[in-house]
Amino acid sequence: MADVTLRAITKSFGDVRIIKGIDLEIADGEFCVFVGPSGCGKSTLLRMIAGLEDITSGSLSIGGREMADVEPAGRGVAMVFQSYALYPHMTVRDNISFGLRMTGHKPADIEARLRRAADMLQLTHLLDRKPSQLSGGQRQRVAIGRAIVREPQVFLFDEPLSNLDAALRVQMRTEIGKLHADLRATMIYVTHDQVEAMTMAGKIVVLNAGAVEQAGSPLELYHRPRNLFVAGFIGSPRMNFVAGTAAPAAHGRIEVVLGDGARVLLDGRGATVTAAQPVTLGIRPEHLTAGGGGLRATVRLAEYLGSETMFYAQLADGSGIAVKADGLAKAAAGSTLDIGINPAACHLFDKDGVAVIHGDLTR
Amino acid sequence: MATHRSSRWSQRRLAPWLFLAPGALLFLLYVIIPIGQSVWISFYDWDGLGAATWIGLRNYADLLDDDSFYTSLRNNVWWLVLYLLAIPAGLAIALFLNQTVTGIRLYKSLFFFPFVISQVVVGLIFSWFYAPDFGLLPRILGFLTGTETAILADERYATFGIIAAGLWPQIAYCMILYLTGLNNINPEQVEAARMDNARGFAMLWHIVLPQLRPATFIALVVTVIGALRSFDLVSIMTAGGPYGSTRVLSYFMYEQSLSEYGTAMGYGAAIAVVLFAIMLVFISLFITRMLMQERNA
Repeated sequence: MADVTLRAITKSFGDVRIIKGIDLEIADGEFCVFVGPSGCGKSTLLRMIAGLEDITSGSLSIGGREMADVEPAGRGVAMVFQSYALYPHMTVRDNISFGLRMTGHKPADIEARLRRAADMLQLTHLLDRKPSQLSGGQRQRVAIGRAIVREPQVFLFDEPLSNLDAALRVQMRTEIGKLHADLRATMIYVTHDQVEAMTMAGKIVVLNAGAVEQAGSPLELYHRPRNLFVAGFIGSPRMNFVAGTAAPAAHGRIEVVLGDGARVLLDGRGATVTAAQPVTLGIRPEHLTAGGGGLRATVRLAEYLGSETMFYAQLADGSGIAVKADGLAKAAAGSTLDIGINPAACHLFDKDGVAVIHGDLTR
Repeated sequence: MATHRSSRWSQRRLAPWLFLAPGALLFLLYVIIPIGQSVWISFYDWDGLGAATWIGLRNYADLLDDDSFYTSLRNNVWWLVLYLLAIPAGLAIALFLNQTVTGIRLYKSLFFFPFVISQVVVGLIFSWFYAPDFGLLPRILGFLTGTETAILADERYATFGIIAAGLWPQIAYCMILYLTGLNNINPEQVEAARMDNARGFAMLWHIVLPQLRPATFIALVVTVIGALRSFDLVSIMTAGGPYGSTRVLSYFMYEQSLSEYGTAMGYGAAIAVVLFAIMLVFISLFITRMLMQERNA
């Protein structure tokens, strides 16, 4: 078991900087998820930890040992690839035990570890099959088995569920979670799916354009996003952003005037703004109510999901706003909707996209 | 309704045969029938123009007593064995060229070049390379050993000199086959193997080579068949000499029945039938293997 520490890690391909100096601490036994849009460098970062990509500058240590010049097989890490990368000419048994044979383990030891992993992953009856004779979920489990038998200090997952259908993805998500609970190993998991990140992670690292936007627990990122990017990336459906201007008001409060003239009075929580400062108000669809409130919008689309109703509406200044309303709420497309805002749930971002006020409901 | 269905049914049955017909007809006319004719002619004493006399297996009996036949057969075995070197050599070059370096396409084309040029040109280039007065190889040998050896004029070395010339384009051919195969290997598998501590030869042996099996199979087929039907290089470089020492079966057949002095049609046909029988052994093996793979897939 080991912690993973990254210090000022960078990666360049020629003149192009892919990873722009990342500092990160991943504690021993933590389940850490790298999340971000495609091309943000999350897979590259994972491959650098695995040793499959060279580190241009900075230091990487696993369990306190500097790893920059250590071969992938010597780092005590195991990786589950997006394509599973099973060896097509080998049986499941050989696929799982190949790494152990390559590192010179004794046959009895290999057999014991193979049995244990196969039991844990319910692969025992499939050991003599070739990968081509397995379903997607089974292949996925073989790939995980191949990682488990090596008893690594750190597991690396590179978008392991993206090739599975929705139902299987949910199932494998819980299986990987259970695996983490059983093995208590450090796991680093890359995904572009923020739902996967929210449900599995102990710690989420949001990456964008080769830099860390924010790292923290799922709820911390949900309630206290540091900037517009994280606010927009974490949470589904996405947070609404409405442009406006802020001004100081009485009792340390802040008054925000939105584009269509609507006013929202926020608890300043110690933040200061200048008069007529341009800001962006962020509010999640689930913190808006249909009816009884300060914002007037025209409904463009209503989705009745039974448990809830999603209204996609348009404010007078043309900006779109989504409202997650009660399942019984009704409004026809084209009708006017009064939207209620919970001021305590409003986030405020300055013109650089940095959060001034967190709409943290947990406080 | 019933007639409609039966016409549909007969269409389904007939269509494949109609599509196969042109190819099958040509194959019958230019391959199957000539094979039968060759076998038939091999039982005759015939000069190609006059009357043919049935002599049964006499041509084959004569072959068994003919030293030239054994020379040709032995040379064919040498060709077969040494030609197989093209497979590992092609693999080695393919592995070497399978990297991303600037200008790699140019290097690949240069390595592939000998396969593109005609066998006649290959033969000529190597003849000059071996030529006693101005060739490069005798100079080098002369510098190293003190005596200039004329490879193609020496019956001990001539066949090997020709085989070396033949290997040049054959290696290029195998290289292309392997390069295509290497292209199809999932890079994530190679990375997974790296994580599994497979390095160097272990990586090649356990991960890369098994996935190149289809390429190896094709390389084996074309190399074996290429070795057995070697003719053009022998014809260009030595015309079977010195003293008939570089003959192979196909050249021996040509000499006996089709060349300037050869009119022994029946005897030549017997040689052709023997060569055909040898090829048939290999081709049957290849086809059996292919069928087995198809059944397993």
